[in-house]
Amino acid sequence: MERAGVGDRWRPPRGRHRLPPEVVARSQRERLLEAAVRVVADKGYGAMTVGDLTKQAGVSRTTFYELFEDKEACFLAAYDNAVEVLVRRVMGAYESAQGWPDQAAAGLAALLDVLAAEPALARLSLVDIGNAGPAAQRRYRAAIQRLTPLFEEGRDFAPGGRNLPANTSRMAIGGVTGLISDELLAGRAERLPGLLSDVLFATLVPYIGPDAAAREVERLAR
Amino acid sequence: MNLSGLIEKERLPAGREDLAEPLIAHSQRERILVAMAGSCATKGYGATTIADICEPAGVSRATFYELFKDKEDCFHAAMEVSLADAMGRVLSVYSPDKPWATMVRDAAAEFLDLLASRPAFARMALVEAPASGDRAFELYASGKRVLQSLLDRGRDDPVEEEAIPSSAGRAALSGAESLIVGQILAGNAERLRELLPDIVYITTVPYLGQEEALRQSRQAEKSLESDMGQGARVRSLSPPGG
Repeated sequence: MERAGVGDRWRPPRGRHRLPPEVVARSQRERLLEAAVRVVADKGYGAMTVGDLTKQAGVSRTTFYELFEDKEACFLAAYDNAVEVLVRRVMGAYESAQGWPDQAAAGLAALLDVLAAEPALARLSLVDIGNAGPAAQRRYRAAIQRLTPLFEEGRDFAPGGRNLPANTSRMAIGGVTGLISDELLAGRAERLPGLLSDVLFATLVPYIGPDAAAREVERLAR
Repeated sequence: MNLSGLIEKERLPAGREDLAEPLIAHSQRERILVAMAGSCATKGYGATTIADICEPAGVSRATFYELFKDKEDCFHAAMEVSLADAMGRVLSVYSPDKPWATMVRDAAAEFLDLLASRPAFARMALVEAPASGDRAFELYASGKRVLQSLLDRGRDDPVEEEAIPSSAGRAALSGAESLIVGQILAGNAERLRELLPDIVYITTVPYLGQEEALRQSRQAEKSLESDMGQGARVRSLSPPGG
């Protein structure tokens, strides 16, 4: 490591060995965000208390309330983090492939892989978010919309794409997330990668119809 | 299995409302269920208190507890009534000699109509129930299975069935549901009918192919326009945030 961690190098001017408050706060915040993911996975959002979070993260209640207004705020911040990771991975995979059906397959495969590798994150992102009240639900829907290009570019690819209903991509996304949520609710996160042919079909069929979708699934996901 | 068979198999509630009850209690009960749905819509099920229900219903706490064991019991009763209504509406379009696509369109129209006419119940059933405990989730899921079985019947049409994954109907239903929920969350429940052409498309395309699904969707749009009066243009609704 070229640059030492702040904690190694930084020396307070008058010998008081303390990290700058904003650095301490940042790491406490990160610990609380990680704690939120774990606690939600263990007991669900509804049963999660601020006490669970402070205990898991090893911070005081006072610190918690300096950083977050309430458990919802902490949960939403954890959620935003999770979404950021997901979207980056999915869109990265999407952009590395050529041609829409191949790109969609690559993006969806990456999505399923991340979710399977991080079941706690998966539950938080796709299932528990629905249990955390209207603010969280709106957040969820906004996050999901960031994946829209993965779907909507099918419109340019499809011969009659311009004639498709305006909400085609919303419904295609809803189909994919619905299939994934069903799998998560059934406790089968580790089997998500096996869902690729189903979610790819659900993505392609509104744009190119069942015959072409089935052929592409055969080519890309078998 | 036909739909009524499935409704029986899913043990959907039907008889509960027919219990012989004094007329006054019946209407108190209804007012309570309406108040429950209303409170779910404004502050969510979790935050709802017995007082939130009793006050708009115009009943005392004592009356509430005569009719329901607790808040959860009341919530489940409200869900059961909603589900029985919805399944009754969907079942009303069922006819063995109707083409499948027509049945899907009619069922979707009935379902959207019901949701649009009762926005608070729509929100309770599709937004709150899936997230409010096992029993509520199971009620929500059993309704969904009935709708899914209606869609899965599209498989009887000879369109390369082998190649279509068995999850196609479930995916289409989730797609339609997410569009509906988006509108409810955006406060547009009373305009849910306008989603009919889109929902007809997504639910029929896996089985009928694009050309026929688009034709069905345009027909749905026409029926909607004539319902809404001459010259009324159906605008595609787009929820905020995208």
